[in-house]
Amino acid sequence: MKLHPALKRWESVLALLLIAEILLFGAINPVFLQPATLLYATSDFIHVGITALALTLVIITGGIDLSLGSVMGLSAITLGILWVGGVDIWVAAVAALAVGTLAGVFNAVAIHLSKVNPLVITLGTGFLYGGAALVLSGLAGATGYEGISNFDPAFVNLTNLEIVGLPLPFALFVVLTIAFMALLHRTRFGRYVYLIGQNPRAAAYAGTPVFRTLVVAYALTSLMAALSGLILASYFGSARSDFGTTALMPAITAVVLGGTSIYGGSGTILGTALAALLVGYLQTGLQLVGVSSHVSSALSGGLLVIVVALRSLSEMGRVWFQHRRVLRNVAAE
Amino acid sequence: MIIRFLQRHREASVALIIVFLFAILGLVDRSYLSFDTVLLVYGNSLILFVLAIGATMVMATHGLDVSVGSIMGLAAVVAGLLMNAGWGIPASIGVALLVGLLCGLFNGALVAWLKVSAIVATLGTLGLYRGFVHLLSGGSWIEGLPEGFKALTKAGSLGLSPVAWLVLVLLIVAHLGLRYTAFGRSMFAVGDNREGARLIGIRVNEVQIVAYGLNGLLSALAGVIFASQIGFIPNTAGTGMEMRAISSSVLGGVSLLGGTGTVLGAALGAYFMTSIDSILVLLRLEAYWNDIIAGAILLVVLITDGKIREAVDRHLRYQKYRKFIDPQAAGQHADAAKAAGRTVKTVLETSEARK
Repeated sequence: MKLHPALKRWESVLALLLIAEILLFGAINPVFLQPATLLYATSDFIHVGITALALTLVIITGGIDLSLGSVMGLSAITLGILWVGGVDIWVAAVAALAVGTLAGVFNAVAIHLSKVNPLVITLGTGFLYGGAALVLSGLAGATGYEGISNFDPAFVNLTNLEIVGLPLPFALFVVLTIAFMALLHRTRFGRYVYLIGQNPRAAAYAGTPVFRTLVVAYALTSLMAALSGLILASYFGSARSDFGTTALMPAITAVVLGGTSIYGGSGTILGTALAALLVGYLQTGLQLVGVSSHVSSALSGGLLVIVVALRSLSEMGRVWFQHRRVLRNVAAE
Repeated sequence: MIIRFLQRHREASVALIIVFLFAILGLVDRSYLSFDTVLLVYGNSLILFVLAIGATMVMATHGLDVSVGSIMGLAAVVAGLLMNAGWGIPASIGVALLVGLLCGLFNGALVAWLKVSAIVATLGTLGLYRGFVHLLSGGSWIEGLPEGFKALTKAGSLGLSPVAWLVLVLLIVAHLGLRYTAFGRSMFAVGDNREGARLIGIRVNEVQIVAYGLNGLLSALAGVIFASQIGFIPNTAGTGMEMRAISSSVLGGVSLLGGTGTVLGAALGAYFMTSIDSILVLLRLEAYWNDIIAGAILLVVLITDGKIREAVDRHLRYQKYRKFIDPQAAGQHADAAKAAGRTVKTVLETSEARK
């Protein structure tokens, strides 16, 4: 049986899974199939997708960023502190994004200078940024469950806006997906990202600007995390330092499920975007069907394990078949 | 000599930082400089000690386990539910440990047999086991644990609780076991060079699975200790502990690339992580300074360590290729960079001249 090459791609499998999932939940609970539900449900999980888009770049370079959860909290708290200090909300938002970007640059510089595994460095910077967010909120006396609230209504209403019929966070996600696709698959910078992931040493000898590429990749990841922090602050109408604690694992899950190799060198933005939707709708769908959110987190964990295990099994199977074919050919001669 | 020391300096550097922390404490108030403070911190770091032993084993095999926090929670919930259902304390703890072992073995099977990357596999099981926690506990806290269970972590002989003694024994056994037994060495062999280990007859997959299994068992023990210490079981028990455990081990010189590290180092790292918390309390600083200080020190240690390691590598390379550099340069300020910069021609010429 010959399959069309487009159907052999992992992204097609993900898209089919996504459609199957939506239809399945729709069959159990028709409310799920209403466009309004499908669109507005995204506001609960889309910040994870937005961060995962940029994280894809970092993971393709063979790195990883464990500090993005802390950056979300840090950016939200920066916004809150400045707002309490009487700064205009939009200026505060820009400042929060700038803080996020700086955090990413610091990650890349620390990784490049120390030549230590990115996993460890970003673990350390994660503590640092999370700690900074805690200190800021502590100094402002907002360590409680409330956080900092009473923002400018215009800012809080942002996430309720619609653009071309799409809720703003989701519209942002779509635009960013296209932008990151262009960046990774259509620019020289994107090629460098793949090259570094395939073989950092060869990339360096070939004259690839490794350091610059890494700085951009990590800075973009932190910038998107900061943006997600702002989206959450607007969505909940308050800023807390622990905003991103639950976002890190789903973001990595979305990237890996999307077909990006954790060892670097391969992956696509489209895969990440589809996987983010798949995991997000799984959570929402299960809640609508009446399964508790705790069980749904177990299921998304289980989904990741099963999918990745199946992928590596199919890879093993492929290699085994190839071996057999070669051996048969040799025997025939 | 110096290189010899530098290879072992990680434990030394962490030990120095701990001494430094206590020195600051002593400057603030002389009365804190007592054996009691040391014991206090030790009592607070039991959980992290146990987790750090497991993390060392897994990281020695070039693996990583981020699901330990969830295993902790699962074991605590299992033990709590069984005790409240009227089971005996030893039996409940035994079942909890068994559950931990099974979780660990499952992680190991994914990594070793299915060849899933360690971080991805354990990320998945992190969510999976956490889901089991909520399923079993029904999302509520488990309270009313028996007094006998809480007494396990109450101070007893020589100011140490029964569990504290157990952990001390575990630390010593694990440290010696990983350093001096064939099985302990085989973990490091697998992490350092998997294919090489296979060729000298180590059963690579089995060693990996056992490392993850033991790590699961130890995480379960950490969960039981946690439950005994605070006397009730919130369903968030153990969240975020994986990061602290990995950080402790890394601080103590266990490499994420496998093949190096000692339990002693990881334990010192864990002791340091806890002493920051305890000392801030004693200094009457607000608790929210913990993470930023821990993070800053972690980063400084990591970056200086990376730099030192680079210098050591450079020195070794220089020693290796020194004979190819002409004698004059060797006399002057000769460093490896210069050696690498030499053209093939000059190297050939000098070797010709030497003949």
